[in-house]
Amino acid sequence: MKERDLKRAYNNVLAQAISSSHQYLFAGNLFGDIFVLRLKELDQSSEEPPGKLKLFPQGGHVDINCLAFHGNFLIVGAVGLIYGLLWNEKEETLGPKRSWEIKIPMQVDSVEVPDVNFIWLNHDTNTLFAGCGDGVIYQVSLEDGRIQREYRGHTDYVHSVVGNEAGQIFSGAEDGTVRIWSTTQQEATGLLEPYKNPKLLRPDWGKWIGAVAVNDDWLLCGGGPKASIYHLRSMECSRVFDFPGRVHVCDFVDDCVFIGGEHNHVQSYTLNGTLQANIPVEHTACYSTVWQPAPIKLMSIAGFSNKLHILKDFRFLDSKIELYGNIVGEEDKADAEDEDLNEEHLISQAA
Amino acid sequence: MEDILNKQFDQLQKAIDGIMDLKAKGQSSEEARTSATLMFVALKHANREVKQKIKAGRDKLHLEKNKVDLSRLQLQNLLYEVSHLKKEIIRCQKFKSRDTHLELLSEGDYADRLPNLPAAKEDMSSHKKHLHRLECELRLRKDLDKQYSALLNSKQELLQDNLSQTQRYISFAPALRTLLGATQPLHDALQLSLDVEWKLSAVVKYLPKPLYILFINLQSIQRISDDHTFASEVVGYESEAQMQDLLKEKRSASLQRLKAEDEMDESSKSTLDKALLPHPLHIRITIGAAGSNQLILLIRYFELIKCAAVWAQMNLAGNNGGDTNFVHNILRHLYANDLGNEIPIPGMQYELQNSNISAEECLAHLEAKDFGKPYCWLQGMCSIPTVNSSMVYNHELNLNKNTREIIARISSRWNSWLKLSQQIRGLMYKDVDLYTLKENIYPAGLSCSLVQWTVITLEEFHAQNSDVLKISSDDKGVTYSIYRAVIVRGSAKMECFIRVPSNYPLEIPLWILNVHWNGCHTSQNNSAIKMMEFWTNSLQPTQLEDNERILYAQLFRTIYSFDIFLETEGSIQSTIEYNKEKPYISAFAKRSRARPYKYFKKGSVYAFKQ
Repeated sequence: MKERDLKRAYNNVLAQAISSSHQYLFAGNLFGDIFVLRLKELDQSSEEPPGKLKLFPQGGHVDINCLAFHGNFLIVGAVGLIYGLLWNEKEETLGPKRSWEIKIPMQVDSVEVPDVNFIWLNHDTNTLFAGCGDGVIYQVSLEDGRIQREYRGHTDYVHSVVGNEAGQIFSGAEDGTVRIWSTTQQEATGLLEPYKNPKLLRPDWGKWIGAVAVNDDWLLCGGGPKASIYHLRSMECSRVFDFPGRVHVCDFVDDCVFIGGEHNHVQSYTLNGTLQANIPVEHTACYSTVWQPAPIKLMSIAGFSNKLHILKDFRFLDSKIELYGNIVGEEDKADAEDEDLNEEHLISQAA
Repeated sequence: MEDILNKQFDQLQKAIDGIMDLKAKGQSSEEARTSATLMFVALKHANREVKQKIKAGRDKLHLEKNKVDLSRLQLQNLLYEVSHLKKEIIRCQKFKSRDTHLELLSEGDYADRLPNLPAAKEDMSSHKKHLHRLECELRLRKDLDKQYSALLNSKQELLQDNLSQTQRYISFAPALRTLLGATQPLHDALQLSLDVEWKLSAVVKYLPKPLYILFINLQSIQRISDDHTFASEVVGYESEAQMQDLLKEKRSASLQRLKAEDEMDESSKSTLDKALLPHPLHIRITIGAAGSNQLILLIRYFELIKCAAVWAQMNLAGNNGGDTNFVHNILRHLYANDLGNEIPIPGMQYELQNSNISAEECLAHLEAKDFGKPYCWLQGMCSIPTVNSSMVYNHELNLNKNTREIIARISSRWNSWLKLSQQIRGLMYKDVDLYTLKENIYPAGLSCSLVQWTVITLEEFHAQNSDVLKISSDDKGVTYSIYRAVIVRGSAKMECFIRVPSNYPLEIPLWILNVHWNGCHTSQNNSAIKMMEFWTNSLQPTQLEDNERILYAQLFRTIYSFDIFLETEGSIQSTIEYNKEKPYISAFAKRSRARPYKYFKKGSVYAFKQ
């Protein structure tokens, strides 16, 4: 199979981010490519298809595990490092060079370079929280790029990190626990183990927690165990959601609970647990949702397929946007590389 | 006037009467006589006046008469003219322009062909438009005529040139002959066998021109390359060729008669048979060393369609059967967009139209008679100018390089297909030693085993609902053969559907995986399977080392990936069926919980990673 077709067939988008201007959507995949979509294209009421995407390759060896946007910078979480790329809004280009780079320190006992699996930004304090493959959450100052502190406690890699205004940090990990941290205390202040709850456990799928979300009163988490919400003060499980697949993304959206994962639908529930929307998706598994209420209200769902799914009212599928095969200038390149890819190898073999 | 005269006569009468009276009375009439004589003067004056008036009247009459005569003449003229015009009208009505027989192009076409001509105006009458078109046609024809005569001239010049060159060469002949005779002892001393070669080419000279060029080229390439990767020979009898030449002469003599006969009493099928008879001599190219598997190309030339066609055969050393279709696939996919589905000779379809044969019929006939297909690359080898399906004209002039390249290409494709079919045969009869494969160096080995490898139909394959199949590269006439492999470990079973494209090795086999274990897992519902499929399909031939085989390498990747899938998946099951045997560090990583399918080797340490 040619590389082009291979990428289209097996495009795995793990990360998305929306620019500070709320006008651009970034999506990064495991082939090290960042796609940029102009959101205005989607807002048009006309029937014509949206314009093509821009592509900024980061090199085939870079796995783009997570993306975030801060100021003028697109922040990329790769393997063992976090780096920033300058976004030039006028010319709609990403800087070709990394503007800054933060290396995640290797643990003494580890043999692998840790993945940066999840980034949560606290825009008020300009700090970045990175959940990493070594089970540690790193708190990084965005002013000088210094690692301010490490949150240790998870025994396996971290899937998801979020925080709230009260200075609490919540993290879900492969070890099956959700830990609650305070920026002012050394040790974890709370621990949840959903897999120990027989109502939640799905034995064939393991105990890992794939996603965590919080709002003022509630904590939402899920993964191998079913998705469920906990009250923040009592830490009691108050509702279980029947999402039929493994959970990789969940979030509070407009007083509703949005759940996606390894299933051919993403679902939206009310806090009472009634299914509100069941949206069919083409992904083998969903790994990322980003959404904004204004100026252009939309939600984008990405995962293990070559398409972004766009919802404008958070309830019904609005459009699907092809990634590879829908890029500015892709056609010319494709023609050039079409001719006799394997031929040279062949001839050399014969000789 | 009459009054005046009468009055005067009366007066005269009176005067005479008076005189008479006077005479009678005897009175002197002298006075009366004088006055009467004076009256004569007046009479005379009146008389002259009368005469003058008559003359004037006569003159006037004459004038009028003249006028009448003139009008009459004019009338006659006009009448004559009318009759003449009537005749003209009838002639016009009967007139038929010769241009009605001309097939004219449309206005736009002329504008395209004669750009400097003023374009026809919109408001022109149809007649004027027609005239404009005719004028355009005339210019076009004049241009063509000019071209024709120029070409004719250049042809004449070339002929002249040829003639003079030939004469020059002929003038060399006696000198060369004496030289040859004189150097004969030297030949003998050096043991050069020039005579033998001349004998060899005795039959060669009866080859049709394109095949002759091809054969001489092949011979020269063969002679300079010492390794015997291919051999070429002329098949057929000299006598048959001579016979055909004679026949042709005869036929051209009685061409008209024969044509009529053809139309009269022979069915179209047999005319096609007769018309599309290959030249009695053809070339056989054998690729591959004697004793091993050989590819035989039979190249025939067809006078009617003025091109050559090639048919491939296999000569298997071990006589071990197998799929023989692939020999044709090699030729079909040798160059992109050269599938041999049209006759690539410029203008051939018009020539065929004249003899009431369609190009499709010709190709079908060639196919049916096992003469093969007229590929563009083959015409290139024979130095026949071609026009391909996208109307690109090509006339290969660097024959030596081109022919060498094509032969090298065919033989490299042949070798890779041979390897592939050996692999498929090995897989079918489970004659595979996976343990000798390159990636399998780490001690643990494989726990899964291949239990079945069968051929299935394309329909069965398309029943697999996979995203990969929706991503169709533009169809280039590629066909597929499909295989199904079953891999088993414990209670888990994996079905693999393998699609081998006919343009292998330009495209490599595609794998689609289905795992049956605690339900059916495919790339549609399980990301781990999709990653596994990606890992198998992402294997590129460039990553292989020389002695490795693509299908084995893919199978091997698939099998160890399946092992890893079971071992990682098994680690979280409540009842553990599969233990960790492969050296990987973490079973899951990243938010996608990716499995460690990728094989890494660093120094003497092997590991699997995400």
